[in-house]
Amino acid sequence: MKLTNEEYQALEAVVGPEYINQDPVIMDTYNQVWGNKFFFDEKHSVRPAAVLLPASTEEVAAAVKVCNKYGILFKAFSSGFEYLSLSLVHSKGILFDLRRMNRILEIDEKNMRAVVEPYVSVYKLQLEAAKKGLYTGRIGVGYSAGVIAAECCHHGCQHTMVFTSGYGRNTLGVEWVLPTGEVLELGTGETGSDLFSADGPGFSLRGILRGRTGANGGHGVVTKASIKLYPWYGPPAWQQKKQPGQPLSWGQLDAVPDGYKVFVPTFADLDNTLSASEDLCRAEILCAFGIGIIGTSPFSEGNDEEWAAMKAMVANIDPAGGFSMANSVVAVIGGQSAGELAYKEKCLRAITEKWGGRFAPAANEPRGLARAFADIMWSNGVNLRATGDFLPSSSSPDGSPAMLKDLALKEGEVKKRYEQAGSFLAMGSGTRMVSWRPEENLSIGAQGISTAQYDPYDPVSLKAARDFIDELFDPRSAFHHFGVPSRGGCLQIEPVTHIHQNWGPLYDNYDKWVQQIKKMLDPNTVGDWTAYIPPEYPEYAKDGEYVLPSYGKDEQL
Amino acid sequence: MAWQDYVHDMQRCTRCSYCKWIPYRYMQNTDFIQGCPSISRYLWHAYSASGKFNMAYSLLQERIEIDESFLEVLYKCQMDGSCDISCKVQQDLEPLQLMQELRIKCVEEGQLVPAHMMVIEGLRKEDNMMQSKKTDRARWAEGLNVKNLTEEKGEVVFHAGCRYSFDQELWPIARGGLELLQKAGVDVGIMGIDEACCGGRAYELGYAGELTKYAEHQMEAFRTAGVKTLVTPCADCYAAFSVLYDKIGKKMGIEVLHLVQYLDRLIKTGQLKLTKKVPLTVTYHDPCHLGRLGEPWVHWQGKETKVMGQMIVHDPPKKFRRGAGGIYEPPRDILKSIPGLNFVEMYRIREYAWCCGAGGGVIDAYPDFAAWTGNERLKEAGAVGAEAIISACGWCKRSFLDAAAESGDKTKVYDIVELLQMAV
Repeated sequence: MKLTNEEYQALEAVVGPEYINQDPVIMDTYNQVWGNKFFFDEKHSVRPAAVLLPASTEEVAAAVKVCNKYGILFKAFSSGFEYLSLSLVHSKGILFDLRRMNRILEIDEKNMRAVVEPYVSVYKLQLEAAKKGLYTGRIGVGYSAGVIAAECCHHGCQHTMVFTSGYGRNTLGVEWVLPTGEVLELGTGETGSDLFSADGPGFSLRGILRGRTGANGGHGVVTKASIKLYPWYGPPAWQQKKQPGQPLSWGQLDAVPDGYKVFVPTFADLDNTLSASEDLCRAEILCAFGIGIIGTSPFSEGNDEEWAAMKAMVANIDPAGGFSMANSVVAVIGGQSAGELAYKEKCLRAITEKWGGRFAPAANEPRGLARAFADIMWSNGVNLRATGDFLPSSSSPDGSPAMLKDLALKEGEVKKRYEQAGSFLAMGSGTRMVSWRPEENLSIGAQGISTAQYDPYDPVSLKAARDFIDELFDPRSAFHHFGVPSRGGCLQIEPVTHIHQNWGPLYDNYDKWVQQIKKMLDPNTVGDWTAYIPPEYPEYAKDGEYVLPSYGKDEQL
Repeated sequence: MAWQDYVHDMQRCTRCSYCKWIPYRYMQNTDFIQGCPSISRYLWHAYSASGKFNMAYSLLQERIEIDESFLEVLYKCQMDGSCDISCKVQQDLEPLQLMQELRIKCVEEGQLVPAHMMVIEGLRKEDNMMQSKKTDRARWAEGLNVKNLTEEKGEVVFHAGCRYSFDQELWPIARGGLELLQKAGVDVGIMGIDEACCGGRAYELGYAGELTKYAEHQMEAFRTAGVKTLVTPCADCYAAFSVLYDKIGKKMGIEVLHLVQYLDRLIKTGQLKLTKKVPLTVTYHDPCHLGRLGEPWVHWQGKETKVMGQMIVHDPPKKFRRGAGGIYEPPRDILKSIPGLNFVEMYRIREYAWCCGAGGGVIDAYPDFAAWTGNERLKEAGAVGAEAIISACGWCKRSFLDAAAESGDKTKVYDIVELLQMAV
């Protein structure tokens, strides 16, 4: 649905003619992103009526007021590497592409925080923060993700959460353009001159701002945020070098930076691996931690090379070598002094020994550890290359390691059926993989994670992916006691999966509260709710109390 | 492959945005982390490689048409291949090849950029891309004692290329390059007014037929002349002769070298001695066509297949061009061998170098964008403390000179040949 001339001119007056566009050629590049095929049966979601490139909070606020006046839906995004950030409920909707708001406004060494605009990527902040001996957490989805998107609007998990906590836990203050166009500053109850509070945005409004899985653009635009930073024990700058004659993806550090050490212990079985992992996390010695990841391998440059490497690995496997990926962990320790580092290493070795672990030479050679460090601290990004897409399949609850083990194994049994049918990527090892990301030294538990890789353009694989998710996300299934299957909101395309509608009644009717928040903040329902929640549920086809998923574009999409 | 054959790539572009930046692993200075001039200057996602995948997919599904807006987005792009390199760090996709095929489609359908029409008209009439007279082609070499290979035999043909032949400000470079070869005793000659365009830039504009025509012409001309080696100071010509001709099945039967490769060889064998000090702090700009776009073409025929259930692989395995096979060391080795020269690297180098701005027809149709792009590079040279930026391509030098003239940037702009002349 096009904007009327009057509507368009009102928005144009806010950002200027150069920074608003409604040309179909341009618009159709703002609605294509991985994952769309799964939900909408097309690579395209709804074509926006216009896209704006605002440069300031004032422009965002003024444009939102125009949206209120004319009943235009809006949603803002930073890098746009997520279907949640680009999907609109209907075509009388506009997107704010925030790429012009790309400044790191401040890095406050003393208070260990940074104030950033929305288009500041995680790695950009890493580079600048390191100059002052500071560090921001790794983002699972990769280098290009926006800091604000991760911390204030969306959800996910990462290997550094053991040290830097989870998404959303590092927000100290925000400048927030509400769906009404009002600007709310949170984070200081005092002078109003500074976005800072030691415990989140003011009066514990973290839940309102983002909840657990983020509002995903559903209740306004965060135009600035103050983000907590952590110590960086490495150098102020570093260089990853390409190996002679090799592709760029082989670029790596010469060694693990001074101030850090990396260890890859391998254990006899899954139970010992998980027990050792718990002890390691609770010892408060880790900067990053991963279970069962291939952090020490060179990152293959393509699927063909990956496949060749896998075949070679299988052919050359040494049963006596003592290395099993599933029963290995990657642990990064860091310290301000040699003494601190030595103490942490002593702890790590003692815990490894306690659970019968050993350091397989193949997994602990120096260059491999340097690769592991870069991957686990800065991220290689999401591997969507293998099959074309992936499902963040598990419900990703915050829970105890025991609960997460239970979930992963149960989910693994379901996934195996689809793997055996050839519908998903199958590693073929039959290994039971359990992976979770500890938060704050396990003091608040961990997040479970597992993925299923499928080909969205293979009808059989796509159908399997949907069947698999339907199985896991059915509140009547055996998975109902693991928590709301959010996976960071990744599968929270509400007009399709109906997660809140189906799961709210099982969990204190939390969805009703979220709907109340939505109504309060957005009285005119102009904040696009595709990946959040509608103020009232529309009528959908039901099977009893269960709302059936509606993959493909219904009238609303 | 025609544009619609890249449907797999269109569908599988994830919108990770890696195409907009240099590969993240290599980011050092946050002022210089952008990779693609087009999206950096014009901001809308369509201007990125990902956006081009999106446009193509929408076109395939008849959601949009080729119109003025489509053309503007497609052609405000230097075709410099930065996106292609960054994309392939993460994916098995071919953004640059798709963009090339989209341009070919536009030309085939008569959807033309006016400025390019004039250039191509000149090419068809006068065999050059500079809208100049063919009869003036050899003026740059006037007064030099050089063989004309249309009249006598020689081992090596020196192909100046259109830019060096007609841009008078750059004539000293072409002359200097030739003189260096002669000084080293190389049996070198030129084709005189019979030298013709390589066709490479026309191909990049979407005029595929011109490349075929000129490839056939050149092969015949060099066969007749009996030369064994072709040397060119122009990076664009180098990529056309060594890469594009091979791509279209017209692989040259002779050795093709860029001048820097030849000069590097002469220095290393002692045939060219550098004795004079050149007290300058310089940085080197990798021309796109000598670097990532100069990587040899890889022919592949086969099919997609699946292993491990759903992993997409190729049978036989497909070797993607990821830029590592470009010409990177010879120019650096030359600079390092010049006495007194202080060589510093910029932040974006080799296969992830920032473009000078001239490529893909931008200098002809959108000179302001070319200058903007060039100025971004001059800023980077300044940021690493370089007094001068050195390149090995006439188009780069022209773009930097124009950019500096517009912005007032004081960075000196040299071709590597000019430094060698100072040092010999």
